[in-house]
Amino acid sequence: MTLFRLECKTHCKTLLIWMIVVGILTLGLVSLFPAMKDMGLDQMKAMPKDMMKAFNLSDLGMLTTIKGYFGYEYQYVMLATGIFAAMLGTNALSREESEGTISYLFSQPISRIAIVGEKMLANTVLYTLYWLVSMAIAYLVCLMFKETGASVSDLFDGFTQLTFAGWVMGLTFLSVGFLLSAFLSSNKSATSLSLGLVFLTFILGVVGKMNNDFKGLLYASPVDAALPSTIFKSGIEWNYIVIDLVVIVVAGLLTFWIYRRKDLNV
Amino acid sequence: MPVIELSHISKRFGKFVAVNDVSFTVEKGEFFGFIGPNGAGKSTTMNMMLNFIKSSGGKIKLLGKNVPEHDLDVKKQIGYVPSDVRFYPQLRVRDLFCYTLDFHHMKGDSAELKRYCDLFQIDPQKKFGDLSLGNKKKVALVCALIHHPELIIMDEPTNGLDPLIHARLFRVLKEKQEQGVTIFLSSHNLKEVEDYCSRIAFIRSGKLIGVEDLTQVNQNVKVITVKADQLPIAVMEKIGATCVKKTDHEARFAYEGNMAQLFSTLSNLSPQLDDVTVANRDLEEQFMAMYERQEGERL
Ligand SMILES: Nc1ncnc2c1ncn2[C@@H]1O[C@H](COP(=O)(O)OP(=O)(O)OP(=O)(O)O)[C@@H](O)[C@H]1O
Ligand SMILES: [Mg+2]
Repeated sequence: MTLFRLECKTHCKTLLIWMIVVGILTLGLVSLFPAMKDMGLDQMKAMPKDMMKAFNLSDLGMLTTIKGYFGYEYQYVMLATGIFAAMLGTNALSREESEGTISYLFSQPISRIAIVGEKMLANTVLYTLYWLVSMAIAYLVCLMFKETGASVSDLFDGFTQLTFAGWVMGLTFLSVGFLLSAFLSSNKSATSLSLGLVFLTFILGVVGKMNNDFKGLLYASPVDAALPSTIFKSGIEWNYIVIDLVVIVVAGLLTFWIYRRKDLNV
Repeated sequence: MPVIELSHISKRFGKFVAVNDVSFTVEKGEFFGFIGPNGAGKSTTMNMMLNFIKSSGGKIKLLGKNVPEHDLDVKKQIGYVPSDVRFYPQLRVRDLFCYTLDFHHMKGDSAELKRYCDLFQIDPQKKFGDLSLGNKKKVALVCALIHHPELIIMDEPTNGLDPLIHARLFRVLKEKQEQGVTIFLSSHNLKEVEDYCSRIAFIRSGKLIGVEDLTQVNQNVKVITVKADQLPIAVMEKIGATCVKKTDHEARFAYEGNMAQLFSTLSNLSPQLDDVTVANRDLEEQFMAMYERQEGERL
């Protein structure tokens, strides 16, 4: 488990920075809620219905409760979370090659399977830590700014479900990122691939929502499986979760398979 | 039992053949040199031995075990110094040593580590990324030594080392060799190869040109350099000398034969010669000739 420790140590600074930035972002967004709640939302009613749907804002009345408001605003943090997870994945294996550190690592007695396995484990732990802390901050901030009369236990239930669904979403991006990482021999394109992966699937989800003919596309969008507004309204949609889990397992196995056969660039 | 056994290994990158049907063996306790011009395929061969890249054909056996099937077992017994030392830049040197020992499930001997650090003048508190080229190389050397490997594979290890450290490194390597450790190094420094290696393999354009036993190289070969307006090429060739180099007024011959005959020929020629020297041929010169020789020629 030496590589596991090395990997955790390498990323602990990045992890801390992401947790702080997302924490501040959450605080900033939620602290606007008391002011937003009392503002008239009439102008927004003029927006076309489909457009509202695309922004996951079909029920404007929701915005006057903390759950509704948070559920809407936090989808953007979900996107950022997806990007964080995808970046952890796409960099994980490719960075060793582009920085040349693989020539040290792979001359040690460690198998390629162990390299992938320990890296997956370390990055899963890092991501899980990030997500738990982010959710804990978000929950506390929501408690601070909630409207009078909002049910704490109801909010807690919503957050438990969101924590789980969001965790699975991140793991999906992480494992697809790992798969890309096994193909790459440099991490130069890792960031753009991560952004592309998250936004592309998100846009597929938007198309799926706007046009009933393409409803199936929703399943290709991990972010939609963990959309806070949907989860707060109707709970976890298990179909999505199952699809994500299948993607995680398949991408994970493929990563091992490809990395074992790969010529490492030294 | 040979420690390194390469049989008919090849490596293709697309259409380009970087290593072409290379076979040789290295016995336990040998100090083996691997030399050849830039781009000859030395690093590629070593990368296959360490399973960084897969061979396109042939069989590799290290320490009696097949690679890549048993590369995990094999790597427990190998110390490797890459030609381009790029270790984790954010780690301190001492952390790198600790991680290396951890990977080998060894506790390490702090006295030994201190000895290496003093010997090679390494500051273990520094961050690896802040070190100079030569200092990085030294850290890589220590990382390849601290787990007491049976086989040390080094790709141009002395590139960037100052002369003092260079001498100390070879003293350590010689010590290791005397304890039965096998040393395999690629190098462009012919002097060090001549001084330390017992055998060498010469590779060019991916093909193995030959394997030479340096302990048995014929020291009787003389190099004769003559300066004259009319170079006596024909006369010299008649007594069996081969012209290895020729300019307008100077020619160099390699000669392996009767010295009396050589001197009588030279004295007959002396009126027309401006200058003549006869010297023992050193290995460096012999290697140089191999570098200069045309493709396809044998050793
Ligand atoms: N990944 C690769 N893809 C394509 N060609 C490669 C690759 N790696 C090496 N080569 C080519 O294979 C040949 C052998 O390269 P190698 O690095 O083994 O040479 P070398 O003998 O180590 O040379 P040097 O003394 O300069 O280190 C070179 O022509 C190189 O361009
Ligand atoms: Mg090389």
